Amino acid sequence: MISLSGLTKEFPGGVRAVDSLDLEIGDGEFFALLGPSGCGKTTLLRSIAGLETPTSGKIRISGNDVTALPPGRRNVAMVFQDYALFPHMDVTSNIAYPLRIKKVSRSRREARAAETASRLSLSELLARRPGQLSGGQQQRVALARAIASHPQVFLFDEPLSNLDARLRLEARTFLKRLQRELAVTTVFVTHDQGEALALADRIAVMNAGRIMQVGTPSEVFHRPIGTFVAGFIGSTPMNLLPASAEGGRLHVAGAVLPLPGDIADGPLVYGLRPEYADLSQSAPTGRRDVFSGKVAVVENLGAAHLVTLDSGDLLIQVVVPEGDEPAVGAPAWAVPRTGRALLYRDDRLLTVA
Amino acid sequence: MTRGEPEESAETRRPKRDEGRHRRVEPPAGRAGGTAMTRHVLGTIGRATFLAVVLGFFSLPLLWLASAPFDAHPSITTSLPEFTFGNFRSLLDNPYVVSSLRNSLLQAAGSAVLVVVLAALAAYALSRVRVPGRDALLYVLLLLSSVVTGTAAMVPLFELATRLNLIDTHLGVVLTLSGGLLPAAIFILKDFMDGTPTSYEESARVFGASPLQILRHIVIPLVRPGLATIAVWAVANVWGSFLQPFILLRDPDKAPGAVILYTLYTEGGAPRLDLISTFSLLYSLPVVVMYVFVSRRYGFRFHGGIKR
Ligand SMILES: Nc1ncnc2c1ncn2[C@@H]1O[C@H](COP(=O)(O)OP(=O)(O)OP(=O)(O)O)[C@@H](O)[C@H]1O
Ligand SMILES: [Mg+2]
Repeated sequence: MISLSGLTKEFPGGVRAVDSLDLEIGDGEFFALLGPSGCGKTTLLRSIAGLETPTSGKIRISGNDVTALPPGRRNVAMVFQDYALFPHMDVTSNIAYPLRIKKVSRSRREARAAETASRLSLSELLARRPGQLSGGQQQRVALARAIASHPQVFLFDEPLSNLDARLRLEARTFLKRLQRELAVTTVFVTHDQGEALALADRIAVMNAGRIMQVGTPSEVFHRPIGTFVAGFIGSTPMNLLPASAEGGRLHVAGAVLPLPGDIADGPLVYGLRPEYADLSQSAPTGRRDVFSGKVAVVENLGAAHLVTLDSGDLLIQVVVPEGDEPAVGAPAWAVPRTGRALLYRDDRLLTVA
Repeated sequence: MTRGEPEESAETRRPKRDEGRHRRVEPPAGRAGGTAMTRHVLGTIGRATFLAVVLGFFSLPLLWLASAPFDAHPSITTSLPEFTFGNFRSLLDNPYVVSSLRNSLLQAAGSAVLVVVLAALAAYALSRVRVPGRDALLYVLLLLSSVVTGTAAMVPLFELATRLNLIDTHLGVVLTLSGGLLPAAIFILKDFMDGTPTSYEESARVFGASPLQILRHIVIPLVRPGLATIAVWAVANVWGSFLQPFILLRDPDKAPGAVILYTLYTEGGAPRLDLISTFSLLYSLPVVVMYVFVSRRYGFRFHGGIKR
């Protein structure tokens, strides 16, 4: 178990890359640190590894305070974004390097390297140098090297970002299976929300050095507690529209919707994922709970289309199944599905509408 | 080009002219194709002549070095030798020649080892640790290094060596010469080390490697071409150093080749060209061999420039 309390890292020059952060990561958990570029994910990961000295706060691994320990004594293994394979060593020596440091005999460590390599289908490549490997192979060698050190914790910094899109999907599945088999606590950094949703048991969404929300992929997807998380999670950005509650009704972008429960009158933010609205190309008769607008943009997503409606001064996006896409310029109506919209006030989730 | 116009019209009137035909085959060759061609040829001849002169200028001394040692009566000019190996025999009769080669070897190897080890450690530290004013320090050292071993510092150096009892010792020469070479060596090696990503070292650190292990396992193998460059450069520098050993060593038994070369005169003060040329050839061979060997083995390459 990794537990961080009040962790702060301030760089010389005053940048607070990590800002009094508390976090608990369970044993065997596959944990994602997700956030936009520059939010401090790498700094947090490096602090856990011991490569950065925190300005204040504590880091515990399995109950031991490791805040002051050097990286080598924390029993963690890190896979760097550029993999950091030693270019002058062949694959065997690279994988066996952690064992070399632990003074394991050459024959033993070569056997262990070969064993780890075969598990990651690297047996054919043992004699090659990193420069002679493809990106995907390099990534697996880096994983093998981390595995060979038998750590308590794996730390991955954007392990998939150097792979091309196709390979990334394969590597994702592979990584998830591997982590399940090894059952080693794993913290990985990514700025790709899809990757975090697909891989992680739990996700911490970070912004500007702070954690905005921690939860399972389903929690952060369906119940984002703030508009930042709401806007960040999801392959198509959530519609976040200014709204207001008046006399038990919700007024959003020209539509009038029923207001659930006990919400006081006043301004709100209405959040609706483009997937959770249906597009109608004829005016629904006698209904006021729909958004009307003109089709401004139609983007092809493959099996679906993302339609952007221009509704006065607001843009509303709707995902439309293949074949139902409207023509650009045509009038159209977006019908929100009930129980799917999120209402925020003062950037806090109030309820689901 | 004022002449171009009438020529152009003449061409169009008389298309059977040579230039006209040429133009039809190669329309985009430009208006004054003929003149450009002539200029090109003249330019090539001019460049070749210039290069030949420069080459001759530099190769004549080398030719002299190749021929004079085998000449029974060498002069200051290069000529076809009256072939003999006698010069080598009379050179080896000089009791100091062989010992001077050994001394040169000792001093060069000692300095090279010292410079490579110290420069590698210093460059690594300077490259990886943020020291305020680091670059300024390096530039000042670099500037001063030419002073330290330069003529101006000879008196204080002699004084210092006397007080430290380093006069007439190989160590004194090695220390003095290394001191002069170190700043430039650190500067060049730091550039090599700056060019190796820190993530290699961090990765090793996470696996528990100590700083010295990181240096041995990761950094040194990665900057090996740089170390080889520095070693060769240090050896070549010490090999050719005259002033410092000349001043710091009184005992001719300890003098390196460069100093002994200076003693190859007759009693009357005339240079023994036969011995000087032979010794020069003998003395330059090890450096040439070393250079060829190391360059084969490591291939001298600088990663990036000296300064990014
Ligand atoms: N060594 C450093 N010195 C000063 N500031 C730094 C240093 N390293 C990172 N920072 C700053 O700290 C903040 C967080 O950086 P960090 O690398 O952790 O971001 P990140 O979330 O990993 O971003 P990315 O997704 O782009 O990798 C940034 O504002 C960055 O400029
Ligand atoms: Mg990062």
